[in-house]
Amino acid sequence: MPRSAALHGLGIPQDRLQRLAATLGMPRWLPSAAPGDGDASRVVLLFGDHEAAEQPTHWVRPFAAWIEAGARSDAALADSIARAAGADLYASITTATANHLYLASRIVAALASRRPLGDAQRDDMELALHEAISNAVVHGNLQVDGMKGLSVAALDRFSHELAARIADPTFAGRLIEVSARLEPDAAVIEVSDEGNGFAQTASAGGAGPAPSGRGLDLISAIAEQVELLDDGRRIRMRFAL
Amino acid sequence: MDYGIDVKEQDAVVRLRGRLTFNDHAKLRALIREMLQNKAKRQILDLSALEFVDSAGIGMLLIAREEMANVDKQLVLRAAQGQVKRVLTVAQLNKIVVIEE
Repeated sequence: MPRSAALHGLGIPQDRLQRLAATLGMPRWLPSAAPGDGDASRVVLLFGDHEAAEQPTHWVRPFAAWIEAGARSDAALADSIARAAGADLYASITTATANHLYLASRIVAALASRRPLGDAQRDDMELALHEAISNAVVHGNLQVDGMKGLSVAALDRFSHELAARIADPTFAGRLIEVSARLEPDAAVIEVSDEGNGFAQTASAGGAGPAPSGRGLDLISAIAEQVELLDDGRRIRMRFAL
Repeated sequence: MDYGIDVKEQDAVVRLRGRLTFNDHAKLRALIREMLQNKAKRQILDLSALEFVDSAGIGMLLIAREEMANVDKQLVLRAAQGQVKRVLTVAQLNKIVVIEE
């Protein structure tokens, strides 16, 4: 199905937006032009920082892609916009912003504006996606290890490391990419980070309750299918719709 | 996440509100400290106004349970609803923590 895409900017200088739209051959989005145009139109939202993208109305139809400009060059943004064209829903945003916006709930809201989702189904998908994004944020891009040991000391260590990394632009500025494809009876969602990846090990099991390491198990319990790719930098989840 | 504590002789009731995720590490540290300091034997977390919990939130609840057990206090999770109730079930937390309806 041919899909017309248009570009919209929030917190982006007009001349930059105009230049990108011209380079990519994309029209600018005119909010009044296409009421009820439904699936045929998709809007790529380019935004400056998290404050520009707070409004819930910017995370439902016709918006289908969310790209944070941050400190990226025009060429890097054009590359992200091209990648967005290959997905039904797409986000490429910094670690700090993904965390700040509760990205999982935003993506699920975008999905729910296109497909009917039951309450329980929506809760489950949000949890699985949140776990995947949290792993990408905390362990991937911020390179913080999970809590080890059931003590306040373990929580303190986690707390201090996380606060230090999120305040460091070298880590907090790394990107999180979410890409979703909608099939007739399923949604296939990928989440990737720019961290060092990890070697997949069998889950500890038997060692008693641990405060960390439950995320992947929760995802596996919810999703129909889970794959870890690119040495753990990318997770692909398939959800029945 | 926000919380309020109401201490009555044997029981301290802590009402959690909002979303409990890995971002709430500092609040959980403060909460655990408050629960260790008050005199009540039973530290009841009222989850009825909690909207969302993630795996790290579950992990932090387990740390709270352990810290209470170390000083002979009991942690109870009460009145979970919706997503929170579902996660407690999926994570099989009833095997580890006392859960009340």
